[in-house]
Amino acid sequence: MPVWMRFTRASLALAAVAVAWAADLAYACPSCASPLEENRQAFVDTTVFLTVVPLAMMGGFVWWIRRKLREQDELPEIAVPPNLLRDAGRFSKRP
Amino acid sequence: MPDDALGRPYGVPTRREPVVPNGVMGMLIFVATEVMFFSGLISAFVIGKSNALGGWPPPGQPRLPIEETALNTAALLASGVALFFANRAFQKDSPHTKRLLGLAIGLGGVFVLFQGAEWVALIGEGLTITSGQLGGYFYLLVGTHALHVVAGFLILLYTYRKLSEHELDRFTFWPAQIFWYFVVGVWPILYWQVYL
Repeated sequence: MPVWMRFTRASLALAAVAVAWAADLAYACPSCASPLEENRQAFVDTTVFLTVVPLAMMGGFVWWIRRKLREQDELPEIAVPPNLLRDAGRFSKRP
Repeated sequence: MPDDALGRPYGVPTRREPVVPNGVMGMLIFVATEVMFFSGLISAFVIGKSNALGGWPPPGQPRLPIEETALNTAALLASGVALFFANRAFQKDSPHTKRLLGLAIGLGGVFVLFQGAEWVALIGEGLTITSGQLGGYFYLLVGTHALHVVAGFLILLYTYRKLSEHELDRFTFWPAQIFWYFVVGVWPILYWQVYL
Protein backbone atom coordinates (compact mmCIF):
# COMPACT_ATOMS: atom_id res chain seq x y z
CA MET A 1 0.00 0.00 0.00
CA PRO A 2 1.43 3.42 -0.93
CA VAL A 3 2.37 5.79 1.87
CA TRP A 4 -0.16 8.45 0.82
CA MET A 5 -3.00 5.90 1.01
CA ARG A 6 -1.95 4.79 4.50
CA PHE A 7 -1.72 8.41 5.55
CA THR A 8 -5.24 9.14 4.17
CA ARG A 9 -6.72 6.13 5.95
CA ALA A 10 -5.07 6.99 9.23
CA SER A 11 -6.30 10.60 8.92
CA LEU A 12 -9.87 9.45 8.25
CA ALA A 13 -9.78 7.06 11.21
CA LEU A 14 -8.42 9.83 13.43
CA ALA A 15 -11.14 12.21 12.23
CA ALA A 16 -13.83 9.60 12.97
CA VAL A 17 -12.48 9.11 16.50
CA ALA A 18 -12.33 12.89 17.03
CA VAL A 19 -15.95 13.32 15.88
CA ALA A 20 -17.12 10.46 18.11
CA TRP A 21 -15.23 12.00 21.04
CA ALA A 22 -16.73 15.44 20.48
CA ALA A 23 -20.30 14.23 20.10
CA ASP A 24 -22.59 14.88 23.04
CA LEU A 25 -26.22 14.29 23.91
CA ALA A 26 -28.56 16.44 21.81
CA TYR A 27 -31.92 17.23 23.36
CA ALA A 28 -33.57 17.65 19.97
CA CYS A 29 -36.75 15.81 20.94
CA PRO A 30 -39.13 18.17 22.74
CA SER A 31 -41.16 15.33 24.26
CA CYS A 32 -38.59 12.75 25.36
CA ALA A 33 -37.64 14.62 28.51
CA SER A 34 -40.95 16.42 29.06
CA PRO A 35 -42.14 16.67 32.66
CA LEU A 36 -45.76 16.30 31.45
CA GLU A 37 -46.89 12.68 31.74
CA GLU A 38 -49.50 13.16 28.99
CA ASN A 39 -46.82 14.45 26.64
CA ARG A 40 -44.48 11.53 27.34
CA GLN A 41 -47.36 9.11 26.79
CA ALA A 42 -48.21 10.83 23.47
CA PHE A 43 -44.58 10.45 22.43
CA VAL A 44 -44.63 6.72 23.20
CA ASP A 45 -48.01 6.25 21.46
CA THR A 46 -46.93 8.04 18.28
CA THR A 47 -43.63 6.15 18.23
CA VAL A 48 -45.52 2.85 18.41
CA PHE A 49 -48.00 4.10 15.78
CA LEU A 50 -45.29 5.21 13.34
CA THR A 51 -43.46 1.90 13.82
CA VAL A 52 -46.49 -0.33 13.39
CA VAL A 53 -48.10 1.44 10.39
CA PRO A 54 -45.33 0.80 7.81
CA LEU A 55 -44.78 -2.75 9.06
CA ALA A 56 -48.51 -3.48 8.84
CA MET A 57 -48.66 -2.00 5.34
CA MET A 58 -45.70 -4.00 4.08
CA GLY A 59 -46.87 -7.18 5.82
CA GLY A 60 -50.38 -6.76 4.42
CA PHE A 61 -49.03 -6.17 0.94
CA VAL A 62 -46.79 -9.28 1.04
CA TRP A 63 -49.69 -11.38 2.36
CA TRP A 64 -52.00 -10.08 -0.40
CA ILE A 65 -49.43 -10.75 -3.16
CA ARG A 66 -48.83 -14.28 -1.83
CA ARG A 67 -52.56 -14.95 -1.82
CA LYS A 68 -52.90 -13.69 -5.41
CA LEU A 69 -49.93 -15.80 -6.51
CA ARG A 70 -51.40 -18.93 -4.89
CA GLU A 71 -54.75 -18.28 -6.58
CA GLN A 72 -52.97 -17.97 -9.90
CA ASP A 73 -50.86 -21.10 -9.28
CA GLU A 74 -53.97 -23.15 -8.53
CA LEU A 75 -55.37 -22.44 -11.97
CA PRO A 76 -53.97 -24.45 -14.90
CA GLU A 77 -51.93 -22.68 -17.60
CA ILE A 78 -54.74 -23.27 -20.07
CA ALA A 79 -58.32 -22.65 -18.98
CA VAL A 80 -60.15 -25.99 -18.75
CA PRO A 81 -63.82 -26.58 -17.84
CA PRO A 82 -64.13 -27.72 -14.20
CA ASN A 83 -65.65 -31.12 -15.09
CA LEU A 84 -62.62 -31.99 -17.24
CA LEU A 85 -60.28 -30.76 -14.54
CA ARG A 86 -61.92 -33.11 -12.00
CA ASP A 87 -61.51 -36.04 -14.37
CA ALA A 88 -57.81 -35.38 -14.79
CA GLY A 89 -57.06 -37.48 -11.66
CA ARG A 90 -53.59 -37.16 -10.25
CA PHE A 91 -52.61 -34.74 -13.03
CA SER A 92 -55.15 -32.27 -11.75
CA LYS A 93 -53.83 -29.44 -9.58
CA ARG A 94 -57.07 -29.50 -7.61
CA PRO A 95 -57.90 -32.32 -5.17
CA MET B 1 -67.48 -18.87 -25.44
CA PRO B 2 -67.45 -19.97 -21.74
CA ASP B 3 -64.47 -18.95 -19.66
CA ASP B 4 -62.84 -19.63 -16.28
CA ALA B 5 -62.55 -17.58 -13.06
CA LEU B 6 -59.92 -15.31 -14.63
CA GLY B 7 -62.06 -14.71 -17.71
CA ARG B 8 -59.85 -16.85 -19.99
CA PRO B 9 -61.58 -18.78 -22.78
CA TYR B 10 -61.44 -22.57 -22.30
CA GLY B 11 -58.81 -24.49 -24.20
CA VAL B 12 -56.92 -21.48 -25.53
CA PRO B 13 -53.37 -20.90 -24.24
CA THR B 14 -53.23 -17.36 -22.88
CA ARG B 15 -50.48 -15.19 -21.51
CA ARG B 16 -50.52 -14.84 -17.76
CA GLU B 17 -51.50 -11.40 -16.53
CA PRO B 18 -49.32 -9.77 -13.87
CA VAL B 19 -50.56 -10.49 -10.34
CA VAL B 20 -50.95 -6.78 -9.72
CA PRO B 21 -51.54 -4.44 -12.68
CA ASN B 22 -48.92 -1.70 -13.03
CA GLY B 23 -51.39 1.11 -12.35
CA VAL B 24 -52.62 -0.55 -9.17
CA MET B 25 -49.06 -1.24 -7.99
CA GLY B 26 -48.05 2.37 -8.63
CA MET B 27 -51.08 3.72 -6.81
CA LEU B 28 -50.54 1.36 -3.85
CA ILE B 29 -46.95 2.56 -3.47
CA PHE B 30 -48.11 6.17 -3.72
CA VAL B 31 -50.87 5.64 -1.16
CA ALA B 32 -48.37 3.93 1.18
CA THR B 33 -46.23 7.08 1.11
CA GLU B 34 -49.34 9.17 1.69
CA VAL B 35 -50.30 7.02 4.68
CA MET B 36 -46.88 7.70 6.20
CA PHE B 37 -47.19 11.40 5.39
CA PHE B 38 -50.54 11.66 7.17
CA SER B 39 -49.26 9.48 10.01
CA GLY B 40 -46.44 11.97 10.53
CA LEU B 41 -48.85 14.92 10.52
CA ILE B 42 -51.24 13.21 12.94
CA SER B 43 -48.37 12.23 15.25
CA ALA B 44 -47.10 15.82 15.28
CA PHE B 45 -50.61 16.99 16.10
CA VAL B 46 -51.02 14.47 18.95
CA ILE B 47 -47.69 15.55 20.46
CA GLY B 48 -48.54 19.24 20.02
CA LYS B 49 -51.96 18.75 21.57
CA SER B 50 -50.55 16.95 24.61
CA ASN B 51 -47.93 19.68 25.01
CA ALA B 52 -50.45 22.55 24.98
CA LEU B 53 -50.59 24.49 28.21
CA GLY B 54 -54.10 25.37 29.33
CA GLY B 55 -55.74 22.32 27.74
CA TRP B 56 -57.05 21.53 24.30
CA PRO B 57 -58.66 23.19 22.39
CA PRO B 58 -56.75 26.28 23.56
CA PRO B 59 -58.93 28.81 25.40
CA GLY B 60 -60.08 31.87 23.48
CA GLN B 61 -60.12 30.08 20.13
CA PRO B 62 -63.27 29.45 18.02
CA ARG B 63 -64.86 26.01 18.45
CA LEU B 64 -64.82 23.65 15.50
CA PRO B 65 -68.25 22.68 14.09
CA ILE B 66 -68.46 19.07 15.31
CA GLU B 67 -72.08 18.22 14.37
CA GLU B 68 -72.03 19.80 10.91
CA THR B 69 -68.74 18.10 10.11
CA ALA B 70 -70.19 14.78 11.31
CA LEU B 71 -72.83 15.13 8.57
CA ASN B 72 -70.13 16.00 6.08
CA THR B 73 -68.16 12.95 7.22
CA ALA B 74 -71.24 10.83 6.54
CA ALA B 75 -71.41 12.31 3.01
CA LEU B 76 -67.78 11.39 2.34
CA LEU B 77 -68.25 7.86 3.71
CA ALA B 78 -71.39 7.47 1.59
CA SER B 79 -69.34 8.55 -1.40
CA GLY B 80 -66.92 5.69 -0.72
CA VAL B 81 -69.82 3.22 -0.44
CA ALA B 82 -71.31 4.52 -3.72
CA LEU B 83 -67.94 4.04 -5.42
CA PHE B 84 -67.75 0.48 -4.07
CA PHE B 85 -71.13 -0.34 -5.59
CA ALA B 86 -70.17 1.50 -8.80
CA ASN B 87 -67.22 -0.89 -9.09
CA ARG B 88 -69.48 -3.91 -8.57
CA ALA B 89 -71.85 -2.61 -11.22
CA PHE B 90 -68.88 -1.94 -13.53
CA GLN B 91 -67.67 -5.54 -13.14
CA LYS B 92 -71.14 -6.79 -14.12
CA ASP B 93 -71.27 -4.30 -17.00
CA SER B 94 -74.42 -2.88 -15.41
CA PRO B 95 -76.00 0.36 -16.65
CA HIS B 96 -76.14 1.54 -13.00
CA THR B 97 -72.37 2.13 -13.02
CA LYS B 98 -72.66 5.65 -14.36
CA ARG B 99 -75.34 6.65 -11.88
CA LEU B 100 -73.41 5.24 -8.91
CA LEU B 101 -70.14 6.81 -10.02
CA GLY B 102 -71.97 10.10 -10.47
CA LEU B 103 -73.38 9.77 -6.95
CA ALA B 104 -69.88 9.13 -5.54
CA ILE B 105 -68.54 12.22 -7.34
CA GLY B 106 -71.53 14.31 -6.23
CA LEU B 107 -71.08 13.36 -2.57
CA GLY B 108 -67.36 14.11 -2.85
CA GLY B 109 -68.29 17.51 -4.27
CA VAL B 110 -70.68 18.15 -1.36
CA PHE B 111 -67.83 17.41 1.06
CA VAL B 112 -65.47 19.84 -0.70
CA LEU B 113 -68.12 22.59 -0.84
CA PHE B 114 -69.04 22.16 2.83
CA GLN B 115 -65.38 22.25 3.83
CA GLY B 116 -64.97 25.50 1.88
CA ALA B 117 -68.00 27.03 3.62
CA GLU B 118 -66.66 25.84 7.01
CA TRP B 119 -63.29 27.44 6.35
CA VAL B 120 -64.88 30.75 5.36
CA ALA B 121 -66.92 30.74 8.60
CA LEU B 122 -63.90 29.83 10.75
CA ILE B 123 -61.70 32.50 9.15
CA GLY B 124 -64.54 34.96 9.83
CA GLU B 125 -64.45 33.93 13.50
CA GLY B 126 -60.73 34.62 13.62
CA LEU B 127 -59.28 31.13 13.24
CA THR B 128 -56.41 31.51 10.78
CA ILE B 129 -53.24 29.55 10.18
CA THR B 130 -51.28 32.10 12.23
CA SER B 131 -53.83 32.64 15.02
CA GLY B 132 -52.39 29.90 17.21
CA GLN B 133 -51.62 26.20 17.53
CA LEU B 134 -55.23 25.18 16.85
CA GLY B 135 -55.44 27.18 13.61
CA GLY B 136 -52.00 26.08 12.48
CA TYR B 137 -52.69 22.39 12.98
CA PHE B 138 -56.28 22.62 11.73
CA TYR B 139 -55.42 24.21 8.40
CA LEU B 140 -52.35 22.00 7.95
CA LEU B 141 -54.15 18.69 8.58
CA VAL B 142 -57.59 19.46 7.16
CA GLY B 143 -56.11 21.55 4.33
CA THR B 144 -53.77 18.74 3.27
CA HIS B 145 -56.70 16.35 3.27
CA ALA B 146 -58.85 18.83 1.33
CA LEU B 147 -56.14 19.02 -1.36
CA HIS B 148 -56.28 15.24 -1.63
CA VAL B 149 -60.07 15.27 -1.85
CA VAL B 150 -59.91 17.79 -4.71
CA ALA B 151 -57.30 15.63 -6.49
CA GLY B 152 -59.44 12.51 -5.98
CA PHE B 153 -62.52 14.39 -7.15
CA LEU B 154 -60.72 15.34 -10.39
CA ILE B 155 -59.53 11.73 -10.87
CA LEU B 156 -63.10 10.46 -10.44
CA LEU B 157 -64.35 13.07 -12.92
CA TYR B 158 -61.77 11.76 -15.38
CA THR B 159 -63.00 8.17 -14.89
CA TYR B 160 -66.58 9.39 -15.35
CA ARG B 161 -65.65 10.99 -18.66
CA LYS B 162 -63.90 7.80 -19.74
CA LEU B 163 -66.98 5.79 -18.73
CA SER B 164 -69.24 8.12 -20.72
CA GLU B 165 -67.03 7.60 -23.77
CA HIS B 166 -67.11 3.79 -23.19
CA GLU B 167 -63.33 3.85 -22.78
CA LEU B 168 -63.04 3.07 -19.07
CA ASP B 169 -61.15 -0.12 -18.26
CA ARG B 170 -60.41 -1.70 -14.88
CA PHE B 171 -56.72 -0.70 -15.10
CA THR B 172 -57.81 2.94 -14.95
CA PHE B 173 -60.77 2.49 -12.61
CA TRP B 174 -59.00 0.48 -9.88
CA PRO B 175 -56.17 2.97 -9.16
CA ALA B 176 -58.73 5.79 -9.06
CA GLN B 177 -60.76 3.81 -6.53
CA ILE B 178 -57.72 3.06 -4.36
CA PHE B 179 -56.94 6.76 -4.12
CA TRP B 180 -60.54 7.66 -3.28
CA TYR B 181 -60.81 4.93 -0.62
CA PHE B 182 -57.62 6.31 0.94
CA VAL B 183 -59.07 9.84 0.98
CA VAL B 184 -62.32 8.54 2.48
CA GLY B 185 -60.57 6.25 4.97
CA VAL B 186 -58.17 8.81 6.40
CA TRP B 187 -60.89 11.41 7.06
CA PRO B 188 -62.62 9.73 10.07
CA ILE B 189 -59.20 9.52 11.77
CA LEU B 190 -58.63 13.24 11.16
CA TYR B 191 -62.16 14.05 12.34
CA TRP B 192 -61.66 12.04 15.51
CA GLN B 193 -58.29 13.62 16.25
CA VAL B 194 -58.93 17.24 15.20
CA TYR B 195 -62.62 17.81 15.91
CA LEU B 196 -63.50 15.52 18.84
